[in-house]
Amino acid sequence: MLKHELILLKNMMQPGYTGSLQDYERAGGYQALRKVVGKAQPAEVTAMVMKSGLRGRGGAGFPTGVKWGFLPKGYQGPRYLCCNADESEPGTFKDRQLIERDPHQILEGIVLACYAIGAETAYIYIRGEFVLGARILEQAIAEARTAGYIGTNILGAGITANVWVHRGAGAYICGEETALLESLEGKRGLPRVKPPFPATHGLYNKPTVVNNIETLANLPHIIGRGPEWFASIGSPPKSTGTRVFCVSGHVKGPGNYEVPMGITFRELIYEQAGGMRSDKPLKAFIPGGASAPFLTPNHLDVKLDFESVAAAGSMLGSGGVTVMEEGTDMVWAALRLMEFFYHESCGKCSPCREGSSWLVQTMRRIVAKRGRMEDLETLVDLCKNIEGRTVCAFGDASVAPIMGTLKHWRPEYVALIQEAEAANLIKLEPAGRH
Amino acid sequence: MANAITETVRLTIDGMSVSVPKGTLVIEAARRVGVMVPHFCYHPKLKPDANCRMCLVEVERMPKLQTSCSTVATEGMAVRTATTVVHNAHKSVLEFILANHPLDCPVCDQGGKCDLQDFSHQYTATSRFEETKRIFQKGYFSPLIETQMNRCVQCLRCVRYCDEVMDVKALAPVGRGTMTEIKSFGDHPLDCEFCGGCVQICPVGAIVSRLSMYEYRPWMLKRADTVCNFCGDGCQITVQTKDQQLIEVNSAQGAGRNSGDLCARGFFGFRATSHPSRVTHPLIRRNGALVEATWEDVLEFVAEQINRLKLAHGPQAFGGLISGRCTNEELYLFQKFMRLTIGTNNLDSSARYGHINGVQAMRLVQGTHRWTVTFEDIVQADVLLLVGTNITEANPITGLKVKEAVKKHGATLLTIEAIQPAIGTISNISNLSQQHLCIAPSQFGAAVLGLLKAVVEGNHVDNTIQQQAPDYVSAVSHAVQQLAWDDLAVSTGVPHESFVQMAASLAGGRRVVVLAGQTLLRSQGGYGICVNLLDLLLLTGKLTTEGCGFAPLAEENNDQGAIEMGAVAALLPGAHDLANADARAQITRAWKEDLPSTAGATLIEMIDRANAGIIKGLFVIGENPVGSLPPQTGVKEALGKLDLLVCQELFLTETAALAHVVLPAAPSMEKAGTFTNTEGHVQAVRPAIDPLGDSRPDWEILSAISVFTGVPLEYGESKEILKEIRAVIPGYGSLGPSPIPPAVNPMVVEQYVTDGYRRDLAGRYTLPSRTVRQEGTVELGLVQSLFHSGKLSTYSKGLLEVEPSGYLQMNPVDAARFGLTTGDRVRLSNRRGEFTTTAKVFDRVPEGLAWFPDHFAQDALRIFDCVVDPDTKVPSFRTVSVSVMKTT
Amino acid sequence: MLAQRAASEGPRWTRAVRAPSIPSPWVGRQGNQMLKEKYQEEIDEIISRYPVKRSALIPLLYLAQRDEGFISEAAMKEIAGLLRLTPPQVYETATFYTMLNLKRVGKFHLQVCKSLMCALAGSDTVIGWVKTKLGIGPGETTSDGLFTLNAVECLAACGTAPMMQVNEDYYERLTEERFDKILADLKQDGTCSLKTGPFMWPEPAPAKPGA
Repeated sequence: MLKHELILLKNMMQPGYTGSLQDYERAGGYQALRKVVGKAQPAEVTAMVMKSGLRGRGGAGFPTGVKWGFLPKGYQGPRYLCCNADESEPGTFKDRQLIERDPHQILEGIVLACYAIGAETAYIYIRGEFVLGARILEQAIAEARTAGYIGTNILGAGITANVWVHRGAGAYICGEETALLESLEGKRGLPRVKPPFPATHGLYNKPTVVNNIETLANLPHIIGRGPEWFASIGSPPKSTGTRVFCVSGHVKGPGNYEVPMGITFRELIYEQAGGMRSDKPLKAFIPGGASAPFLTPNHLDVKLDFESVAAAGSMLGSGGVTVMEEGTDMVWAALRLMEFFYHESCGKCSPCREGSSWLVQTMRRIVAKRGRMEDLETLVDLCKNIEGRTVCAFGDASVAPIMGTLKHWRPEYVALIQEAEAANLIKLEPAGRH
Repeated sequence: MANAITETVRLTIDGMSVSVPKGTLVIEAARRVGVMVPHFCYHPKLKPDANCRMCLVEVERMPKLQTSCSTVATEGMAVRTATTVVHNAHKSVLEFILANHPLDCPVCDQGGKCDLQDFSHQYTATSRFEETKRIFQKGYFSPLIETQMNRCVQCLRCVRYCDEVMDVKALAPVGRGTMTEIKSFGDHPLDCEFCGGCVQICPVGAIVSRLSMYEYRPWMLKRADTVCNFCGDGCQITVQTKDQQLIEVNSAQGAGRNSGDLCARGFFGFRATSHPSRVTHPLIRRNGALVEATWEDVLEFVAEQINRLKLAHGPQAFGGLISGRCTNEELYLFQKFMRLTIGTNNLDSSARYGHINGVQAMRLVQGTHRWTVTFEDIVQADVLLLVGTNITEANPITGLKVKEAVKKHGATLLTIEAIQPAIGTISNISNLSQQHLCIAPSQFGAAVLGLLKAVVEGNHVDNTIQQQAPDYVSAVSHAVQQLAWDDLAVSTGVPHESFVQMAASLAGGRRVVVLAGQTLLRSQGGYGICVNLLDLLLLTGKLTTEGCGFAPLAEENNDQGAIEMGAVAALLPGAHDLANADARAQITRAWKEDLPSTAGATLIEMIDRANAGIIKGLFVIGENPVGSLPPQTGVKEALGKLDLLVCQELFLTETAALAHVVLPAAPSMEKAGTFTNTEGHVQAVRPAIDPLGDSRPDWEILSAISVFTGVPLEYGESKEILKEIRAVIPGYGSLGPSPIPPAVNPMVVEQYVTDGYRRDLAGRYTLPSRTVRQEGTVELGLVQSLFHSGKLSTYSKGLLEVEPSGYLQMNPVDAARFGLTTGDRVRLSNRRGEFTTTAKVFDRVPEGLAWFPDHFAQDALRIFDCVVDPDTKVPSFRTVSVSVMKTT
Repeated sequence: MLAQRAASEGPRWTRAVRAPSIPSPWVGRQGNQMLKEKYQEEIDEIISRYPVKRSALIPLLYLAQRDEGFISEAAMKEIAGLLRLTPPQVYETATFYTMLNLKRVGKFHLQVCKSLMCALAGSDTVIGWVKTKLGIGPGETTSDGLFTLNAVECLAACGTAPMMQVNEDYYERLTEERFDKILADLKQDGTCSLKTGPFMWPEPAPAKPGA
């Protein structure tokens, strides 16, 4: 069994820990804030974060310190911090645990981030379904405000950081940073054209930083125990620290597991999560949420870090690891994910909007045993026409399931189509007639 | 016309090098070298949205294809728009868009002018899509605009135009993903400004005009580029006809002073003059009734009567009224006819109703009869002051320039208007104001005086004018000192601080344009207030500065032209005073005849003289005094006493019904000529169809009458008249794309600040009288509606669908006080009489005021008083106090 | 002042879900009163959080939905007036998001996650149970108006699948037995003790000496 120190999940794993301000302070909370506010220069804090090698935990994995550095220097005016708690990537449920069990860890991280980037207002954009989480956060904010950690004149140092909870209303696309900003502004959650980037033109067209909840939860530890310590954990220099991975699917012990980056999928799935639920062999697994192409048992020894998974043809993404046992229909699985993307497509740009509807309908036909061989060619072609042509990364994500399953399990597709042809359920002229 | 040096960048498009101003989008740079990148959602007026993905191009050193509509050109950029990769990308995007697009081409009005169709053809698009297309239920959308959402490509141009350009925000993309459709609010029909912008901008046939649905294919249509004949903005329109039927009006992208934008009147009101009740044959009164006759009959009769009356009573027994809807050529010929053929200066035009106030003020202070600024100056202004414009309703396209200045360039908008900043189905200019003063029309003068006082007391008087004209400055300062802030607060309802703030904003601007509109120009004392506004510009040192100026907004399409052509009693062509020796000499040379020198009677004076039996013959061309003036003026009796009333008209109006002869005239859609818009820009009017029936252009009729009387003014075509106008007015109107505004005349300014200002200073700087509003009364105002213009538009079937009749618009608080809800019948009365109408609760009406649309006010006029301005002879009858009572 | 009140009472909008004994906010509202009259303070507080009024749109739509059980046209018009928007602008935002209902739903809105991760654990079976036990399919409501079923996308509870959200509560690790209990408790008490949260999975092993 892998022995490692828990960082983010440490407090909540203590028996009797309620997540209240008292409990958090007793566990050493808000010490990092005290260490820094009014004492260190904001730029120093950014430097520490850069040095730690912390990368975004939402899915894109962009170096956090570098992102903070994009804010315009010498700019006089409001800046904003938006905390992305819109966790909607299928397979991911870590932010929910962090929010509901240890909200103050996040709040401390938020105030630290505000201090570093010079933001006086932070909005936690939390998905609408997390009703309990939103309430817990609001109560925690109230506690922290009373204790002087949030609000004006924080810790008597004349610093202002106000934190508000803003509930989303059910749209996966609002996890995309510019769509999040649009939604926060009270509009439809359609992603914006980049450039300009949120760092210069973000919320209300002001400089804004959008960070994931887990990213922010790491900050008190980085500041408290030093960036060098953080950078020594995991798989330095590119993938430092721990990550909370969400294991789901056909395992004995699904759930959240905080492990240092760089362990292998085999270790995560078989040692942390207890292995396959019915001891059937593993057939496939998704390494990082629905947007990550499927991987095969051959990839079990790939390391859980950004570069390794990318090299294997997928992405570390949101950290949602879904395991599928032998007997799982891969075409059906790809269709299920395609239904998700079709439902969540915002409709802004033509390739994704029309493409997702087209892809899902073709996949439904294939699964319903009314497919044709030409469909496979069309699927690949459509996916290639969507990739790289859309306003945001949703387009690239939406074709990942089909591309991934077609690449590794093409025979399953072919088998379904052959069944269709044998059953003679559909007789159509070749594609091209219109 | 930027004088500053703009930074440029150089880039290559398909190997062709081009230099463009910094900030230019790649798609625009490509257009400059003749490369048209296909697109749907891009539009030069809108913020780039990059949603259609059609405009993808290859940019060197960028890994992915970039949308050229959202990529800014940078130095040394190398763009390729025609590689195989790009071509295939375009094809693939087309395939995606066609996936859910129905095979509607055979039944779609857009066929033949459809971007999707054109690109499909260009790229020989195929679609492998054999799944199920998404279907939207088609419902009734609005009386004038129809949607067919199956065809929508979700470019959102319509939504963005309605938001960014029009500031109306009536269209909404509803739903998510591929099931997004454009609707208004729920299942309710669209209720908006009906500017037709969404119809014009939709690249496919998803939003179409109902007026001409299924009637044509674009290649069947003949096109005529002409100018709209409704308001003074002078929009360029393209009239499309088929077999002598008017089918459609639109405006080409970027065309004209309106840049391709139109309003409801221009876009949907074009069938007004094809109304079945149009008079198409000459009518003559026999045995008390008007019967059809031939042209010869009526012309002979008219000429006979003219000569008879002239012999018996002399030329001063005649008068003439002409509409500002006529062309410049007709206006010129009219005044020539009156002055030469008849021999009198008793002539006037619809400019008398208000526009002349603004022009006379400009002539007095700065020596120009035209604006010294243009629409471009409005867009580039950093401070705009609007006084009594009701700009969205009266001059919507000028309103768009104001909106553009504020929304795109961050201009400071200051408004003094009789409107509340409430959000509604049509845009409300005061919503964009940095500072808005809601003032009743009768107190506009007080508000302007408050502003002047704040300017003086706030030390905003410019040093230069202080030195050059110390007497003038001290006289004005003294005059404003006499006014007490308390009194001003009581009159306007606005506290001292607001004026101080507004004065500071105004004085702090570098490019300041002051717009005065119909509500001010037609109100009592309007002339004096205009002169005060010019004082404001003078004192703050703005009048002669580049980009600054005073801009009175013309109500009717050629009111400006009427003044320039001398179709008003006191002015000669070129807007010279009647007594101006040089002008008289020039004109005498051209006409080879002397001009009458007796001062002429203006509109109300002519009516008085007709009542007194002095004027025996009246020519009324396009005007309808009986329908437009309050009965208190005695107009109906006056006309009834005439021995000869000749009406040149399109319809049998109240005035024409009294005429001895009705001559069928042709409207601007059926003749050639020129109009001068409110900027002073002369634009060509071209016929779209032939004159209906026996109708003839007004100039032809006048020419024919003159021939029959024996003092012939013969012209073969209207171009000849224009040629003569150019001879008479040196340097007159080049028909170029933009106006060349005159500069402020320093000698006239000198004259004004030395002496001219004194004449009526005391009167101008006195607070307008204020009556305490009685319980149970409101101040009723006649207002312009966005959907109508004069009475002409009330013949348009399309516009009547949106606004079929007049109703009393009242603030919710007042309505509650009177127990009124929308739809209730209400009686308005005062000592002059009463009239009953229907109430409509409208939250942008200020408390204490109520509005009734001018266009349906024939019955309402009986309760209005008419007060004539002593200087400009403008009759004001726009506001009156009335008791309100709910009735059944 | 605001901070003190918040500290003592918790934010107003969550009071309705604070304690299990308070029934679902849907119950008993007719929505004739204007929102502003009823919720003046709360509306003002919400608007005060943002420098631009439009940001308050989604929170106010939630408020209207809490009040009436769905978002009516009258509510949308009123909100438009409060935020200086046009009704179409409110409408377009309201229709984009799945949690904002423009039509009434049943007293208990059963939202069963159907994404792949739950499907791998048997979410289709759960939907089948609803069909068998309540007789409704996705998108349908029982004739007594008590239950509406919708199959929704990932609710971020993949490790405790299969699961569903009922109104505002999560019910995870569903078995048929637990499911039956949930339905019974909802019908009887309006709530069920099996609802989860604050969430942690897996839960820590009990402390072992020397571990």
